[in-house]
Amino acid sequence: MKILAVDDDPIILELLAQILSVVGTHELTTAANAAEALGTIAQNGAAPFDCFLLDIHMLGLGGVELTRQIHQMNSYAFTPIIMLTARSEKSYIERAFAAGATDYITKPFDLTEFTTRIRITEELVLSRKAHIAAAKPASARLKVTQAAELLDPSRPFTVQGIKGVIDYTAMENYVAQLSRSSLFGSTVFAFTLRKSEAYNDALAAEDFRFLIRDVAQVIADTLSNQHFLMSHAGNGTYLCITRSGYHPDMAQLNERVNISLNNVQIMTVDGTELYPRVSAGAAIRLVWKSGEQISSALATALTTATDAAAEYERLKTDFFQIGKSA
Amino acid sequence: MNAHSLQMPGIDHIRAHFVALLEDRKAGIAQHALAAWDGETVEDINSHLEHARNTLHQIAGTAGTLGFDALGATAERCEAQINAHLDGPYADLAICPGEIIWCIDTFVEACTSIIEASGST
Repeated sequence: MKILAVDDDPIILELLAQILSVVGTHELTTAANAAEALGTIAQNGAAPFDCFLLDIHMLGLGGVELTRQIHQMNSYAFTPIIMLTARSEKSYIERAFAAGATDYITKPFDLTEFTTRIRITEELVLSRKAHIAAAKPASARLKVTQAAELLDPSRPFTVQGIKGVIDYTAMENYVAQLSRSSLFGSTVFAFTLRKSEAYNDALAAEDFRFLIRDVAQVIADTLSNQHFLMSHAGNGTYLCITRSGYHPDMAQLNERVNISLNNVQIMTVDGTELYPRVSAGAAIRLVWKSGEQISSALATALTTATDAAAEYERLKTDFFQIGKSA
Repeated sequence: MNAHSLQMPGIDHIRAHFVALLEDRKAGIAQHALAAWDGETVEDINSHLEHARNTLHQIAGTAGTLGFDALGATAERCEAQINAHLDGPYADLAICPGEIIWCIDTFVEACTSIIEASGST
């Protein structure tokens, strides 16, 4: 991978160069602060970076704000960003994920952990490159990436520009690395867009993407009083995690989301109005869960939401069948 | 100690650079700590503590990877104490808690030991 590492500690930059030379074939460029990094990015426009390693705590512009600025650039809208963070900076991590970071590595470095995080990121980069190649790219990279990601609606794709909404890989990394104490007070749940497959079949790719984004915006607005992160997990399903002890009544929350969806006008590019509705799954507390139990909780949240959407459609169909026979 | 890192080729060169930088970093932290202790205004005291904290933060982030676990842990402890004061209820008072100075004194002593050991090898 072609990597840009940004850290104001020269020892960290030396360590990164050394470790990356051992763990794979990577091309590393370094910068001592955010301003220098932005200059380096501009100079490398012809051969963009595949990944960024950013110190979360830098004098001047910090890693969180730099993440936000990098993701605002078209060329780097989907580029993985790994935050470098001290153990004492866990409180910054949620903000970093919310700004678009995909993962984080804790300082002082543990070589095994470091290697794992880099390998996962490299797989992500290679996977995205493969999809871009399969999409027979046009000229603009952003359009190509979006087109590639829309080839398979079952894949998670990034919904951008909504506060609290992050990449699905970032969500998995965020949850996986939370300590037990951080999970105290955390609840995970999901919503599924009803008839998402039908929408995907009927709509143009761009319209489907807008629909997914608009629904995400409505869910985010409904949760705006809570401390939350959300990501689109594919198939019109949205995974949410809330902190600070909020344990929602899912029936009420689902109703509020659907009332909001009813109150906003969601339209296709050609002006056709859509009437999307969602179904909510179970709210699962993460306290005392770790490792596989957390993964299992996420899977349960997703499954219960997709099942609820399917069940809603089944009941509606059965209702009409009964109506026909009556 | 991160044994894997210590076995990496080239790590000795980085360790040597870290120790070379430690002399200046140690002096800077000590000066800021003393200036905070002698400071008379909230702004003055907190500014010196922040400067000391920033350098301690850097050392805490690298010392462990280079095999200086105890030094890294001491730096982290000092950083946590400064953060606790700056984020705490007395941050708007012109005081520098003695515990911070005591902790930084321990840190400076640990730095001196490492620098001397490095010079004698």
